[in-house]
Amino acid sequence: MQTLSRGSFAKAGSSIGFNTGDWRLVRPQHHHSEAPCADACPASENPQGYLAKAAEGDLRSAWEALVSANPMPAITGRVCHHPCETACNRGFYDQAIAIHSVERFLGDRAIAEGWDYPIQPPLPGAPEVAIVGAGPAGLSAAYHLVRHGYRTTVFEAQPEAGGLLRSALPPYRLPRTALDQELERLLATGIIFRPGARIGRDLLLDDLRQNFRAVFIAIGTGRARPWSVDGAEPGEHRSGIGLLQEWISIGALPGYKRVAIVGGGNTAIDLARVLKFNGVGEVHVITFQTLPAAGVSQADAMSAAPREICQAIDEGVTIHDQRGVRRLILRGDTVAGVEMVHMKELERPGGMRELIAFEGTETVLKVDQVIPAVGQEVDAVGFEGLISKSAFFAPDRFGRLTGHAGIFAGGDAARSGGTVSGAIGAGRRAALAIGSYIEGLDLPREDAGPPIGLSSLNLNYFDHAGRAEASIAAPEARSVVTEIEGSLTRDAFDTEVRRCFSCGECMSCDNCWTLCPDNSVLKAQSSGDGKWHYVFDYDHCKGCGICARECPVGFITMIDEP
Amino acid sequence: MASDFDHESIAELQRKQPAFRGLDAGHMACPGCGQALGARLVTEAIGPDVIIANATGCLEVFTSAWPRSSWRVPWIHSLFENAPAVASGIEAALKVQGRPTKVVALGGDGGTFDIGLQALSGMLERNHNVLYVCFDNEAYMNTGVQRSSSTPHAAMTTTSPRGKQRMGKRHLKKDLLSIIGAHHIPYAATATVAYPSDLRAKVRRGLEIEGAAFVLVHSPCPLGWDHDGALSIEVARLAVQTGLFPLIEMERGTVVSAMHIRSVRPVVDYLKLQGRFRHLFEDAPEAREELQHLQQIANHNLELYALRSDQPEALDSESADTARRGGLRWS
Repeated sequence: MQTLSRGSFAKAGSSIGFNTGDWRLVRPQHHHSEAPCADACPASENPQGYLAKAAEGDLRSAWEALVSANPMPAITGRVCHHPCETACNRGFYDQAIAIHSVERFLGDRAIAEGWDYPIQPPLPGAPEVAIVGAGPAGLSAAYHLVRHGYRTTVFEAQPEAGGLLRSALPPYRLPRTALDQELERLLATGIIFRPGARIGRDLLLDDLRQNFRAVFIAIGTGRARPWSVDGAEPGEHRSGIGLLQEWISIGALPGYKRVAIVGGGNTAIDLARVLKFNGVGEVHVITFQTLPAAGVSQADAMSAAPREICQAIDEGVTIHDQRGVRRLILRGDTVAGVEMVHMKELERPGGMRELIAFEGTETVLKVDQVIPAVGQEVDAVGFEGLISKSAFFAPDRFGRLTGHAGIFAGGDAARSGGTVSGAIGAGRRAALAIGSYIEGLDLPREDAGPPIGLSSLNLNYFDHAGRAEASIAAPEARSVVTEIEGSLTRDAFDTEVRRCFSCGECMSCDNCWTLCPDNSVLKAQSSGDGKWHYVFDYDHCKGCGICARECPVGFITMIDEP
Repeated sequence: MASDFDHESIAELQRKQPAFRGLDAGHMACPGCGQALGARLVTEAIGPDVIIANATGCLEVFTSAWPRSSWRVPWIHSLFENAPAVASGIEAALKVQGRPTKVVALGGDGGTFDIGLQALSGMLERNHNVLYVCFDNEAYMNTGVQRSSSTPHAAMTTTSPRGKQRMGKRHLKKDLLSIIGAHHIPYAATATVAYPSDLRAKVRRGLEIEGAAFVLVHSPCPLGWDHDGALSIEVARLAVQTGLFPLIEMERGTVVSAMHIRSVRPVVDYLKLQGRFRHLFEDAPEAREELQHLQQIANHNLELYALRSDQPEALDSESADTARRGGLRWS
């Protein structure tokens, strides 16, 4: 700095020469936190990330960000139970973002526009991996392996890909055109598909072990769990999943008049609705779980998606929650009714949950058939030795089976949450583990930390705005073959993506730049994409903390001066 | 992000900001100073073609530490009491020369409410085409927090302490805007650093109108109000949301608009953040009485200016700010 004697002519100089940054005790720093939607997604999607791209109007980038985690958004946008929306911070402010509708819109747009998946087919000499089962877990693993450059062959016992998506999901939830179009495009990314090849019948697991560097088992649950009431079974009784699959593949159902379905999962609800659509007079669902409502814990609530339960009730299905079947009332081997009793799962010392029946609460329900939908288990033929005590594979979080190097398992066969998105996530993690196994590397760490909460956002900068709801067909207008929930219009989509709070990630709103008393938040334009971001001028920043306090999205934290 | 930029490119970036900035970094304001932010926002809204006359006060002192200046526009400081007179002269001279350069006078509440009030009254009475902006931090902060006629009732300053007889300042905050309004000038308004879009709109409106215009900008002082510098915006926002600092516009002395408050907050939300009101939370009957007094002043404002909104108003209406991706709302 030029020094001037007292009384001399002061040459104008800018105060920018004073480095007021020396005063600072704490400094602002940009800090990305994971959004609750991303933390909650079983398929490891980051909805905050693709909502941001969609809000900028770049739908293709939004879709590409989405399929970097989940290759089948047109499917999950329809069938996922969307825990992202339950976790959404905006849900605690007014209404959660309709993430599932956004996901579906992007998936459908990609199909309509014919956007290519942002991946290259693997090179001819790349290591080969075998996948058993072309359901969501298997296809997700195959996609992510191809994405990382591995040649991948998927073996499927059925003639078509899709697994449970095809065999057990009714078309009013997942139209077959959406399913076929998405899977056709997915298989065309360089995945080799071998339908009609069942392990233990057409080829052996050992063949795969010899010919491939690694094997991922995602065979799902092919067999209904055995069911009886104290040893009694009704004559000609059928499993819920069996009936549902038979109806979906050949369209036929037995002629019931009054039916009781036992179970509180998606199979029970799907079957109940299909029966109702097909003219069965009375359809009852009996479950020891509780109807989902505010205040009902995840552990107690029915495992079926709340949206499906609501729609089923609208359609005339009767749900008896917190109840179980104590006795079958049989005349010969014909069902005359069931004796129900109030039941609930209670926590016992040691953390185990035990199902308790409450004496004196018995009632009788007159039905002509009882259908158990109490879950499925793995049909282990061909995989003997890999399943020990329980009826499922028991791998770690990354699908690795202890004592079986090179063998991985995931999806419903390994109890990956019992959901499509859970299976997709399991496939993605297994693909990571397989890649690390083949390359002899350690797995990349997954430690995002806790997601950012509502208290870290500055809500003064958000206006209240209602959520965009897709159209729902009225109960009397519904049928088994037409989709019940509609798509968002483009206008509704654009409005909805802009409602996102952008939790934990900069949305370039200019708050910090506008509100800094010291001109120490500077705007800079990236040379690449031309987008604006912010840079701290630590030569002048005094560390007042206004930028951090007024950041609407919690992207700035104050840290001690190093 | 920041690691991509060394000292030189930061300096370069300071010069390449996409909006005009009339005030450079490196000024000597305290961390979190509301007035420094206010002066920045006001000069941004004015643009470079302006001559500023500045009264004595914090703003004058912290922007002109010898031998440097933070001002990037022509700027003159003469005395505490005469900024309006200096501005009047500059305006008259420019008028004779036929130059369109704008003239703005800046002062604190001491220079405006007390010391320079007669000069201001003269400038308004002669209806010079000058915008006068008063940064109101409600006491003489530069000399060490002495009460001014703008200090709110019951606030503690070094000359209005909490004592045996008094709970902070005995008298009420001077209703300056009514005095301004009595001059029947074309435009007068109140604004705050907590709502920058509103502040900028009011500054621009004051400049566009031919004749004298006045804008009073509520500017928190972390030192004198005794709150964390990070809370400056929060405190200023609560002053509005409680009704203690109504945001209004006046034309020819008549109130023509007021920023509505959708959910009115109790005054304690505002008071409890500031040490100058700490004594009001003592367990004493006189403390409870003064708390109630301030609440009633807020209630009076809500009624007088009809601040309660009877219908939902979008936050990004002219008066307030909603965060938008891409930051388009501020320009």
